[in-house]
Amino acid sequence: MSSLPLSGIRVIDLTWIIAGPTATRYLADFGADVIKIEHEQAVDPIRLGRPIVGDAPTLNNSGFFNYINRNKRSVLLNVRHPFGMDLLKRLIEVSDVVIENFSAGTLASWELDYPRMRDINERIIYCSISGFGHTGRDRENTTWGPTAQALGGLTLTSGLPGKPPAGWGYSYMDHTAGYSAAIAILMALHHRNRTGEGQHIDMSQVEAATVLNGPAVLDRTVNGRTWRREGLPPGNRAWEPAVAPHNTYPCLGEDRWIAIAVTSEPEWEALVRAMGEPDWSRNQRFGSNAARLANQDALDEHIAAWTTERDDYDLMALLQAAGVRAAVCQKPGDRVERDPQFAARNWWQTLPHPEMGDTLHDGVAPRLSATPGALQRAAPCIGEHTREVLAEALNLTEAEIDGFAEAGVFM
Amino acid sequence: MSGPLAGLRVIEICDELGQYAGKLLADMGADVVKLEPPEGSEARRVGPFVDDEPGPNRSLNFWYHNTNKRSAVLDLDASESDRATARALLARADIFLEAMTPGRPIALALDYDTLAAANPGLIHCAITPFGQDGPWAHYRVTDLVALAAGGPMNMNGYDPEDAPGAPPIHGKGDQAWNTGAHFAVMGILTALVARDATGQGQYIDSSMHEALSSATEVGLPHWLYTKTNITRQTGRHAAVIRSEPWIHRARDGKDVLVFNIGRSNESWGKLKRWMQSHGFGMNFDESRFDDPMNRMAARGAPEAKEIFAEVSRFVAALDAEDVYRGAQACGLPWGTVRSPDEAVDDPHLHDRGHFVATTGEGLEGDALMPGAPYVLSATPWELRRPAPKLGEHTNEVLAELADATRE
Repeated sequence: MSSLPLSGIRVIDLTWIIAGPTATRYLADFGADVIKIEHEQAVDPIRLGRPIVGDAPTLNNSGFFNYINRNKRSVLLNVRHPFGMDLLKRLIEVSDVVIENFSAGTLASWELDYPRMRDINERIIYCSISGFGHTGRDRENTTWGPTAQALGGLTLTSGLPGKPPAGWGYSYMDHTAGYSAAIAILMALHHRNRTGEGQHIDMSQVEAATVLNGPAVLDRTVNGRTWRREGLPPGNRAWEPAVAPHNTYPCLGEDRWIAIAVTSEPEWEALVRAMGEPDWSRNQRFGSNAARLANQDALDEHIAAWTTERDDYDLMALLQAAGVRAAVCQKPGDRVERDPQFAARNWWQTLPHPEMGDTLHDGVAPRLSATPGALQRAAPCIGEHTREVLAEALNLTEAEIDGFAEAGVFM
Repeated sequence: MSGPLAGLRVIEICDELGQYAGKLLADMGADVVKLEPPEGSEARRVGPFVDDEPGPNRSLNFWYHNTNKRSAVLDLDASESDRATARALLARADIFLEAMTPGRPIALALDYDTLAAANPGLIHCAITPFGQDGPWAHYRVTDLVALAAGGPMNMNGYDPEDAPGAPPIHGKGDQAWNTGAHFAVMGILTALVARDATGQGQYIDSSMHEALSSATEVGLPHWLYTKTNITRQTGRHAAVIRSEPWIHRARDGKDVLVFNIGRSNESWGKLKRWMQSHGFGMNFDESRFDDPMNRMAARGAPEAKEIFAEVSRFVAALDAEDVYRGAQACGLPWGTVRSPDEAVDDPHLHDRGHFVATTGEGLEGDALMPGAPYVLSATPWELRRPAPKLGEHTNEVLAELADATRE
């Protein structure tokens, strides 16, 4: 796989759960040699995460683990054993990137903070992902994705008016902290390519969240207006730009919805024609964007009455052909089984897994023309590559590896 | 110190889709020149505006997403000479970031084949809603529509008891644009690292739809392995099995995210003592609460239900920030459900210099906004200039080009 753009870049991956592994999934998809350091006494909880294939967790049969750890290798290393810590340091010496998402202070307690890592390998790029970063008064506080979403303002801004927040039904900020970390690592690699200089990347999951709501912050600091006010969040109606209609509408079937957004008068005319120019649509209450905004309840009722007896995919095709921005609120199964765009672009790909058989994965985004990413192997079984990596990266002999094994280093 | 992308020239032709990708590059040192039509980017018409007064230079949304860029006006639709200028700029650029409809770059002779013939090192990233080909390639979206199609939206919503029959919910803040931008930038930087070794540029087809679908956590695995669509729940993870509520209202009317109760004995002991010091959970010393399995939600133990009900009463007796701070002291990752602007009041973020001051037309003095998403020790994030006024740098950019052409 020497054509992969990040091949030759060795990453010591001390991360677990989702945020860190999401960053290294991206790097591995593009060819970085991501070596996941694991410990049997403290396994990545996602190895036990549902969905599980079979009756009971084996550490190697979590579909979720397979999903976010494909293309990586796994090395068992007991870093509480002095030989284990020594091997970790020797791996860092011959690597390009170290990444971890422990609480702030954990690696320092291993005597492996950035200054000491730099003593081992001056060129190392060390990326820490923690809840609040490694400086500041609250650096000891901890987050999971939903915590960063709550503190960063993402939870409150998702919901129906007058209801509790709906928030995000998954750890959006684990994904996004991971992507931000990957971005920072790639920038640091480019800088090192030019100058030879490594560095420490201090990622805070909360800060990765606050940057996602800049305009709402400026509305307060410039206009003195908080988002905590009557009418906000506006459900699926628009905040800015303020346009109508802009909502989800029920379709034929159980829990089927289509999102429709009209952003200009020509698009409104296109929607009216697609609906068969019903009488109500010519009422002056809907004659301009301002009028539609003022009469959104009635507007949404009329549109919902039109969509509710119709198939959502048929509506999407009809509306898009007419020039109206609209899409089915796709469920996971819809994306895999029905989405014609994914099918046409061969988005779903299969990787064989020793315990789970053929497993389906999403493809690699984005699509690079000269050096595309690739699915190379399913997620590693725990410790699957211990011997292979130590022999390859550290030139250890089989006898030396046996010696470490007997000493209890690989557990 | 300067950013890791210092010295890189980027030409950007983007509206709401893609402009955040340009910001991520510009904020780390790249020279991003935004080419805009005479009437300005569509994004300049997105509010909120300074004092609610629209104007091409008064959009706070534009201010935020275009920091550190320069703006040059070229009429690519009407003027062949302006198109030639764009090609000349791209002949000496490192990165071309554009969010045009598939096919339009060819119509303008700004397509990859044309550009790469003159500049083989060019990295051309096309960011589009659905990618360059396929039956939906020309479908149009907004942030709402993209999140619907890509899957994130279907994960957000309500328990039936909170909002019966509620639809999937659109999380605000341009998150489809943001995720699309994150993938585009990862791709650009990957191509850049490859170019460091080979000198060769390439074309990137960055589909926001593929980006969004890749970022839905357990949503896809449950379908891929068990053919199950997970169910939306109020303020917490969509799931196969319903879980206990995570959102609880505090005394001051703000909500708090409350979860992970009782997973570890250590944090449970601390939580118990904290609650008891306020007169709550006085029966939690009973031995039936000692087993972590009895305390975990979704396992159905009566103790878990009892704990959650008591925690809810406890939260209702305190202010939200006090619940957040107290829980964190117990090792629990709870958090206040803040409005985005309330992060400005958090002293920890100021300790780290997270907020930076910007300015623009209509504002006397300056105003804070979020700054660095990552802190790089050798090549830090930096606000060098606020978002450009429309055409602010047209003459400067054209003069630089004329100089370079003379050389």
